[in-house]
Amino acid sequence: MNVLSCSINTLKGLYDISGVEVGQHLYWQIGGFQVHAQVLITSWVVIAILLGSATIAVRNPQTIPTDGQNFFEYVLEFIRDVSKTQIGEEYGPWVPFIGTMFLFIFVSNWSGALLPWKIIQLPHGELAAPTNDINTTVALALLTSVAYFYAGLTKKGLGYFGKYIQPTPILLPINILEDFTKPLSLSFRLFGNILADELVVVVLVSLVPSVVPIPVMFLGLFTSGIQALIFATLAAAYIGESMEGHH
Amino acid sequence: MANMIVASSKTVIPSTSTPTSTGAGKPKLHLNLPNLSLPKLPNLTKPQILSLSSSTLKSLVAISATSLTLAPPSLAEEFEKAALFDFNLTLPIIAAEFLFLMFALDKIYYTPLGNFMDQRDAEIKEKLASVKDTSAEVKQLEEQAAAVMRAARAEISAALNQMKKETTVEVEQKLAEGRKKIEAELQEALAKLEKQKEDTIKALDSQIAALSEDIVKKVLPL
Repeated sequence: MNVLSCSINTLKGLYDISGVEVGQHLYWQIGGFQVHAQVLITSWVVIAILLGSATIAVRNPQTIPTDGQNFFEYVLEFIRDVSKTQIGEEYGPWVPFIGTMFLFIFVSNWSGALLPWKIIQLPHGELAAPTNDINTTVALALLTSVAYFYAGLTKKGLGYFGKYIQPTPILLPINILEDFTKPLSLSFRLFGNILADELVVVVLVSLVPSVVPIPVMFLGLFTSGIQALIFATLAAAYIGESMEGHH
Repeated sequence: MANMIVASSKTVIPSTSTPTSTGAGKPKLHLNLPNLSLPKLPNLTKPQILSLSSSTLKSLVAISATSLTLAPPSLAEEFEKAALFDFNLTLPIIAAEFLFLMFALDKIYYTPLGNFMDQRDAEIKEKLASVKDTSAEVKQLEEQAAAVMRAARAEISAALNQMKKETTVEVEQKLAEGRKKIEAELQEALAKLEKQKEDTIKALDSQIAALSEDIVKKVLPL
């Protein structure tokens, strides 16, 4: 126990030294409700980046694509491929949802790692990736839930609810539970990964300011991409699952 | 935040170690806890459940899912500095922003570029299909080309032959001319030679008469 408390004390000391600000928010008051201003600001930047780059690249499409158009065509093909693999032949209407999910999470994650947010000082809290906040990830996860319910209900009508007793009625509780675990796991996976990644980088930078954090930063970039892909793929998989016929 | 992580880890550690630790360990735990000097210890049970939820069973997940909706407001009030699970208006705003982004990107990116790519695909496929059908045409064109080549070869050989004939005739004519000229010159030269011969013989004749007179005068002394 002594060892444990000792290590906890040193840990606390490290946190004090590193000055990590996690869970601190810049609050804005909107109509009696509080919002996390830093999340909104960074999300606006992310949205501006996405819309701006897409507008510039797709403004005047050429038959033989140039650099920017080529890249965006590659991204679109990638998104279509993911959607088609998970949803099947009727993937068309879901490309915007899956694609925006992937692009928003991906650009958010990478913005946390690549954009020098720390230059801008906030009175409270600090700017970081929007996916660093549980509100964002839960919002995206809930939208995914709504999306797959919508997909199932429009495809099969009320017969969609037949899937809850599909293999046997005994599995009804577990099938209902799945509707809660899906958004929960989606949101917490993304939130935890991004928060942990940023924390590790910040703590390492505060301990060893040079060279050592670089591999961790690259690992963070890798993780960020993987997490965006996982989120989009799982969202597509859930939508596809609720649309496919149950035998 | 540092407080909260440390605090949650401290409360987690006793709870996980209680099954394995002996009875003597428990009082120690209680002795240690006051040292932590955490003012809101009772409230920490909720984050504790939250931090455990990812690794425990589904039932715990369900409990945490329900407690998620209840816990954050109290946390936000009491831990103003460290609110990880602080749900508020940010959530619906982000959802609305996401929907806006989805429609905007659909308008300026997915639909236009997707249509453009599909059109191009269709065009390329059409062109490919039309190219595959032209093998007969290609054969015909090849035959035409061969015919053109044959005609050209025949023409060239004819032209060559004619040219050869013309040149030989020309050369022969020039040769004949040259021969005639040379013969005429030869004739002329021969005639000149003959004339000279006659001249010298005439001159010699007249000299012979004089010489013989001289010889006679000298031989027959007077």
